[in-house]
Amino acid sequence: MAEDSERVRRRSFLKAATAGGLAGMTALAGCSDQTGGGESEGEGGSGGGGGGSETEGSDTGSDSSGSGESLPTYTYVNNSQSYNPPRHDAINLIASQFGDLGLDMEVDVLEWGTLFSRVSQEYDYSFATWHTFFVSEPVTELNNLFNSNNTDPGQGNYSGYSNPELDEMMGNYLAEPDTDTRINQAHEIQKTLMDDVPTMPITQMPQAAIFNSNQVSNWQADLANGFNSYWTMINLEMVGDNTELKGYWPETLSTMNVLGHNDESKHVYQFNMLYDFLVQLNDNAEPDPEVSLATDWNRVDETTMEYTIRTDHSWHDGEDLTAEDVAFTYNYITENEVPLYSTQAQYIENAEVVDEQTVRINMSQPLGPFNLAVANLVPVIPQHKWEGRSNPAQANIQEPVGSGPMMFDYWEQGSEFGMVRFDEHFAPVSFERRFWRIIPEASTVWENLINGQLNYEPFGRIDRSLDQNQDNENIGTRFQTAPTFWMFTPNERQQGLDDVQMRKALVETLPRTPIVEQILFGFPEEGYNIVSSAFGPLHTEDVTTYDQSPESARARLEEAGYTWDDNDMLQAPSGN
Amino acid sequence: MGKASFVIRRTLQLVVTLWAVGTVLFGLFRLMPGDPTSYVVSSQMTQEARRQIIASYGLNEPLYVQYVKFLQNLVVLDFGQSFHSNQPVTQVIATYLPNTLVLMLTAFVAAYAIGITLGVLSGWYRGSRFERSTVITALTARSVPTFYVGLIVLWIFGAELGVIPMSGMTSLGTQNASFWEMVFSVDFLHHLLAPALVLGFYFMGYPLLIMRSSMLEVLSEDFIDVCRAKGLTERTIMFKHAARNAMLPVVTAAAIALGYAVGGSVLIETVFAWPGIGREMVRAVLRRDFPVAQGTFIVLAATIIILNFVADLAYGYLDPRVTYD
Repeated sequence: MAEDSERVRRRSFLKAATAGGLAGMTALAGCSDQTGGGESEGEGGSGGGGGGSETEGSDTGSDSSGSGESLPTYTYVNNSQSYNPPRHDAINLIASQFGDLGLDMEVDVLEWGTLFSRVSQEYDYSFATWHTFFVSEPVTELNNLFNSNNTDPGQGNYSGYSNPELDEMMGNYLAEPDTDTRINQAHEIQKTLMDDVPTMPITQMPQAAIFNSNQVSNWQADLANGFNSYWTMINLEMVGDNTELKGYWPETLSTMNVLGHNDESKHVYQFNMLYDFLVQLNDNAEPDPEVSLATDWNRVDETTMEYTIRTDHSWHDGEDLTAEDVAFTYNYITENEVPLYSTQAQYIENAEVVDEQTVRINMSQPLGPFNLAVANLVPVIPQHKWEGRSNPAQANIQEPVGSGPMMFDYWEQGSEFGMVRFDEHFAPVSFERRFWRIIPEASTVWENLINGQLNYEPFGRIDRSLDQNQDNENIGTRFQTAPTFWMFTPNERQQGLDDVQMRKALVETLPRTPIVEQILFGFPEEGYNIVSSAFGPLHTEDVTTYDQSPESARARLEEAGYTWDDNDMLQAPSGN
Repeated sequence: MGKASFVIRRTLQLVVTLWAVGTVLFGLFRLMPGDPTSYVVSSQMTQEARRQIIASYGLNEPLYVQYVKFLQNLVVLDFGQSFHSNQPVTQVIATYLPNTLVLMLTAFVAAYAIGITLGVLSGWYRGSRFERSTVITALTARSVPTFYVGLIVLWIFGAELGVIPMSGMTSLGTQNASFWEMVFSVDFLHHLLAPALVLGFYFMGYPLLIMRSSMLEVLSEDFIDVCRAKGLTERTIMFKHAARNAMLPVVTAAAIALGYAVGGSVLIETVFAWPGIGREMVRAVLRRDFPVAQGTFIVLAATIIILNFVADLAYGYLDPRVTYD
C-alpha cells in the first residue's frame, strides 16, 4: 500500500513506537527536514520538507530481478520499556522505518546489562542505540570508539569500523601540544567520521537544569557535567533565606570510594564536590586557575607537565594538602592500576615533587590535551588516608575525606546522602548543605519540586513530566547543548553493514524529527555531528549531513546496485 | 521421643533444602544472560582494567571452583562482597533489612489483628450484610495492586491534602544518630503510617478469608452445640472455643506470610521510596550483583523455611491431636 513518503502516518507511528503514552500528540512533523549546517549530501531536491507525495518505491523500478542475494535478518537491540520508555519507543520506530526500506528486521528487547554485553562484548547485534556521553575531550572518546586496534571484544570499538587513516589522525591529535593545530585536526576527524558514518547521533541531548525558582538561581553549566558540575555549584545563588540545596536521585549510591565507583553520574556529581582536581574547567570548557587546585601550569616538554599547587589549602580533616599528596595521587592510581582511571594512567609514567608548591608529571607517551584528558579527571586524594590501602578500588569507605568545596556529612544508605560546606575552600559554595534523597517515583519528585521540599533535579530527566510541569510558576528550567547524544550504530561485522552506502541510506531513513518532536517533546536537537557544538571550537559545521528521506535512501541504494524483490525486500548488489 | 526425632529430621531437611536453594541460586545467576561487570565498568576503563575487575571478583575461575568457594563461605555465613559497593553482603543486609522489618511487621501485626478479628465475626454472623461486606473488602484488598493503592493514597493524602509525607522514612534532610532513635521518633511514625496501612490493607484479606472459612467449619462441629448446652455466653463460645480452634490454619499462613514479609515489598518500597531489602534485592539482580542477590535470597529462603518449621512445631502445641510420627 502506498504511503505518503514525506510523513510518517500517525497510526503507523503510534503502532511502531508502541507508545500509548504518546496520545495527545500534535500532528507529526515531516520526516524530511534538513538537519544541521554544512553541505547536505543527498540526491538533491528531496530534502527540505517538500510536499511531494510520490508513492514510495515508485521510481525505484523495483525490478524483482533478484540479481543479488538476500540480506540477512537484522537485529536491533532495544532496552525494555520500563528502563527508558522514550528510547524504547524510538528504537521500535526506527526499526519499523528500516522495515519499510526493505530490511528484514527483528527488535530484541533486553535488560540493560544483557544488552550492553551483547553489543560491547559479544558483538551479537546489528543495530544499537543508547545514550552516549562524551567528557571534555572528544577525540579521546572517539579514539576508543573507532580505533582499528580496538575491535577485539570489549575494547571499545563495537561498531567494527576500521580506518587506518583515521587512526593516524587521532594519534596525531592526541600527541599534539598546540591547541590551534588540534582544533584543525579535530575538524578533519569529525569530517571523516560523518562521511563514513560508523555511528550517527540521532538526537543531541541537552543538559537540563530543572529547579525550584523560588529557592535557587544562577545556573551555569559546564561541558562535561552540565548543570551538576563544580562550576555550576560554585556559582549557584540561593534565593531568600534558603541555605540548602535539595536534590534527588532515582536510585541509591553504591559507594563512597572515589577510586572504586563505576563512573555513573550519580557518583561523579558527588565526588566532584568532595575532592579537588589539579585543573577545573569554567563554563567555556577552559582550565581556570582561579577555581583549580593548581594556580599555574606549564608544559616543560612534550611528555612533561608542571603544576604549581596552592600552599594554603587543607583536607577536610584539617591536615595540610601538599604537593606530596598530588604526586602520591598520580603515582598511586598508576601503581595500583585503579580500573576507573586506567585510561588516564596509560599516559602517566610517574609524578614527582619539585618543591613545596610544584609537582612534575612525567608522561609515558605524549598527550597534547593533558589538562582536559587527565588533570581535570583525576581527583587528588589524601596520602595519609590512602597509603595503607592495598586494594584501593575495592576499599569499603564509609566517610570519605577530600579537600573539595563540600565535606561528607552523612550517608543513610538507600535513603539519603548529605554534604556540608567546607568554609576554607578557595572556591566556596553559597549554600550550607546539599543532600540527595533517593526517590524512585517521578511523580513524587515533581510534587516535591513544586512544593519546595526539593529544589533541584540533578537527573535532568527529559520526559513527559518535564513537558507537563515546566510552565509551573515555581519551576525554573535552563537548557544547554551537551556533548551527549543518542547514537545509532550499525555493526559493520554483519553482512551489508560494512557498506558505507548502506550506512548512509540507513542514516537517511532515521526519523530524527519525529523522535525529537514527538517522543522527546522537542527538548533535544536533531543530531548531525558526533562532535556537538558543546565542544566550542573543536566542533565544525563543515561535515557531511544527511536528509531525512526514505526516497533518498532508496535512490542511494539503487545507485549502489541494490535491488528489491517482489516482496519489496532489499537484496544485495550482485557479486556481493 | 517422637518430637525429638521429628525436630532432628526436620532440621536435616532444612539444611538440605537450604543447600538446594543455594545451589539453584548460584546456577541461576550464572546462567542469566548479561555480564556482571556491565554495571561496574565504564567507558573510561581499558580492557585490561576490565579483566582485572573480573579477576578480582573471582569470575575468571572455573565454575566448579566458584561453586566450592561459594559453599565454603555459605557454611560460615559469608556471602561475599558486593560488586558495586564493595561492602560485605552481611553489611548490606544489615543496612536494609531492619528498615523492611519495621515496615512489614507493623503492617503484618495490624493486618493479622484486624483480619483475624473480622474473620471471626464474619464467620459467626454468616449470611449477614456484615459478612458480605467483609468478604468483598477482603477480596478487594487482595485483588487491587498494592502499588496502585499506594499511588492513590500518595496522591490524595500526600499531594492533595498534604497530611502524609511523600517519600522516605524521615523528613528530607533529617539525620538520625541511630536506627532506634529514628524508629521511636514521631517523624518516622508519620512516614511509616501510609506505607504500613497500604500494605496492611493488602495483607488483611488473607487471614480474614482463612479465618472465616475455618470458623464456618468449626461452628458446624458438635462441641459448639455442647458449649451452648452448657449455657456459655455467645462471646465466650465465639472467641474462646470457636476462634481458638479455628486459628490453626491461620498460624501456618501467618508463618509463611511472615517469611515472605522479610523479602519486603518492592512495589511499596518503590512507591514510598522506602529504603528496604526488597528494592535492594531487585537492584542486585538487575545489576548482576551476584553476592548481594544470592545473599538476600538465601536469607529470605532461610527465613521462610525456618518459619515453616516453627509453624509445624506450633501446630502440635496448639492442637494436641497432632502427633509427630
